Amino acid sequence: MLHNVILGDNQFFGINHMSEEKAQALAERFRDRKAITDVMETAYDCGIRAFMLNTNQRAEGICDYFREKKDRFPDMWFYASLPYAHKYASAVGEKGIFGALKDIIMTNSNAGKIIGMLTKGGLSLFEKDMLKIMQILVDIEMKIFRELNVKVIFLQNIVTDLLLGFGVKEVFVEFSEYINSKFGVEAGFVTMNMPKLVDFLLSCGIENPIVCSSINKAGYFMNPDMASYEETLKEKNFRPIAMSILASGAVKPQEAVEYVCGELGVKSVVFGASSRGHILETKELIESYACKP
Amino acid sequence: MANLKAGFIGFGRMGITHFSILNTHPSVEIVAICDQSSTMLKILKKYLNLKTYPDYREMIAEEKLDFVVISTPSDSHADAIKHALEHNLHVFTEKPLALTKKDGREILDMLEGKSVVNQVGYVNRFNEVFMEVKKLIDSGLIGEVKSFCSEMYGATILRDAKENWRGKRKTGGGCLYEFASHCIDLVLYFFGRPEQVVGSVLQSIYSSQVEDAVFSTFIYQQGFSGTIIANWSDESYRKPTNIFTVFGTKGKIIADKHAYKIYLRQDEPEMGFCRGWNTRYITDFAEPVRFYVRGNEFTRQLDYFIECIENGSLATVCSFHDGFVTDVVMEDIRLDAIAESRKTETSGNTGGTRKSETARDSFWKRTFGVRRRQRDAS
Repeated sequence: MLHNVILGDNQFFGINHMSEEKAQALAERFRDRKAITDVMETAYDCGIRAFMLNTNQRAEGICDYFREKKDRFPDMWFYASLPYAHKYASAVGEKGIFGALKDIIMTNSNAGKIIGMLTKGGLSLFEKDMLKIMQILVDIEMKIFRELNVKVIFLQNIVTDLLLGFGVKEVFVEFSEYINSKFGVEAGFVTMNMPKLVDFLLSCGIENPIVCSSINKAGYFMNPDMASYEETLKEKNFRPIAMSILASGAVKPQEAVEYVCGELGVKSVVFGASSRGHILETKELIESYACKP
Repeated sequence: MANLKAGFIGFGRMGITHFSILNTHPSVEIVAICDQSSTMLKILKKYLNLKTYPDYREMIAEEKLDFVVISTPSDSHADAIKHALEHNLHVFTEKPLALTKKDGREILDMLEGKSVVNQVGYVNRFNEVFMEVKKLIDSGLIGEVKSFCSEMYGATILRDAKENWRGKRKTGGGCLYEFASHCIDLVLYFFGRPEQVVGSVLQSIYSSQVEDAVFSTFIYQQGFSGTIIANWSDESYRKPTNIFTVFGTKGKIIADKHAYKIYLRQDEPEMGFCRGWNTRYITDFAEPVRFYVRGNEFTRQLDYFIECIENGSLATVCSFHDGFVTDVVMEDIRLDAIAESRKTETSGNTGGTRKSETARDSFWKRTFGVRRRQRDAS
């Protein structure tokens, strides 16, 4: 069972889709790891057990902290999301696609065998088996979560949607199977094109997939339109997780939850908040709708 | 339903994005891809079941294409465009159109008498906030425009990337063509071509062979002027960010890709604005797109291109003509920067000035009318 309430991490890393100013203010507030883990601890004390965390360069410190304090937070579950796309984007900008991939793999000591293959055969591994490369990259990114409880491993939306456009089924199937066999957890997908992705995943034979997408009353980041989202939620067999339910402030909390969890029947919501009052209020609001049978 | 056959020339970061968007378009069938990387071609062939070519001339000769999408390094745009036009193909090219005025003019000459859709990837013209801001300026809401500032910042280059084409002048790299072009094009979208380009500075920060920052001032015949500030080595920005400010006699607007703020000296109830500050977020007026990858504007610009082909109309947003004007203004900036730095070197300095100092002095001179050291001394 997926958790009903999941604390998101955008607010910790200076991400705000609406305002550069707010984003900068958040980045400053959460400059120290402690400021982030304090909020997560508060959320845990408020009864939240699930935490979305993207594998960016600061996530490692957060994971280290909770690994050390595992006794205090025994029931803390991570919803990991990868890759950290910006890291790849800037590396690709500097060195090109294969140069960047090679660098990332080469600097990772755990991929010893692969380093040998790469140095011997130049770029031949890329040609031979891109899916193997994908596995190596997943391993590299997932290292930071070692010994922690991980519930779902998500493919982050830029990559999901880019690959969805390419329409290569084996990449999605392979990703799901690899996450399952290697980590013993389920794969999930974050997307800005939920109806299209759900259809595609079902056509890949991935049963009851976990799909995280923006769902809100403002229709924000819901492509191609709200009606397709509502229809997909009603008709298709998948496990939806809603994010951006407040559409960055365009919808009031009560109205937002009523629509997403009440009207549409979504049982899992990722939300971002930083104060105890706000966390508690939103959690109770979501549970009042999502936990109804 | 039309079945437009597409060929891709260049398959780097932008080519991949364009592919993902067009591959899901119901009217488009992508039949072939051309790239110089044999590794990339082998992977594409294996997973996508597409024809691949190392040379676009061969691809265009072999395949019956309706249009091409060009996303190669900047120095090869002109040749690829010309070749596609010779074969009467519709062309979408990444910016810039060409690296020289001569090439740009030749391309425009080739378009004469042809009814092919031609578009350059200046994606900001398809961003809903900037589209809205253009409407507001054109409506006269902020009165007569007096000044503007078009800024762009990002963390694209944080160390010397001389091994990549973006870090080399001769391949069209550098902040001016690869980055500042977007914030320059935004100004041209709002106001058209300036009468004069002055006080330009190209400054290197980390790169050894190209500039990392661009400063310039545009002067318009109508009596207003504005500044361009672009810096692709600014780590404080998570993503490339445009900030556009325009001041008029009745108010001012500050806009980025996600929102705009407008200050008005009087109530404008018909337009839905009050006296003082008003903020509008993209959620207030954005429409979803058919398929989203990296931003609404990326889909919107390609869907517009396809729509023009299907309707038999010529693209009027980001046409090659628009792209050429942007190229001309960029060349003006480059030539002005050379002239400016010569002026600085000969105006009393012994010639031992480091490049960055020259640039800084020129910036202070342009901004405050004095040289930095003189100002410091006073």
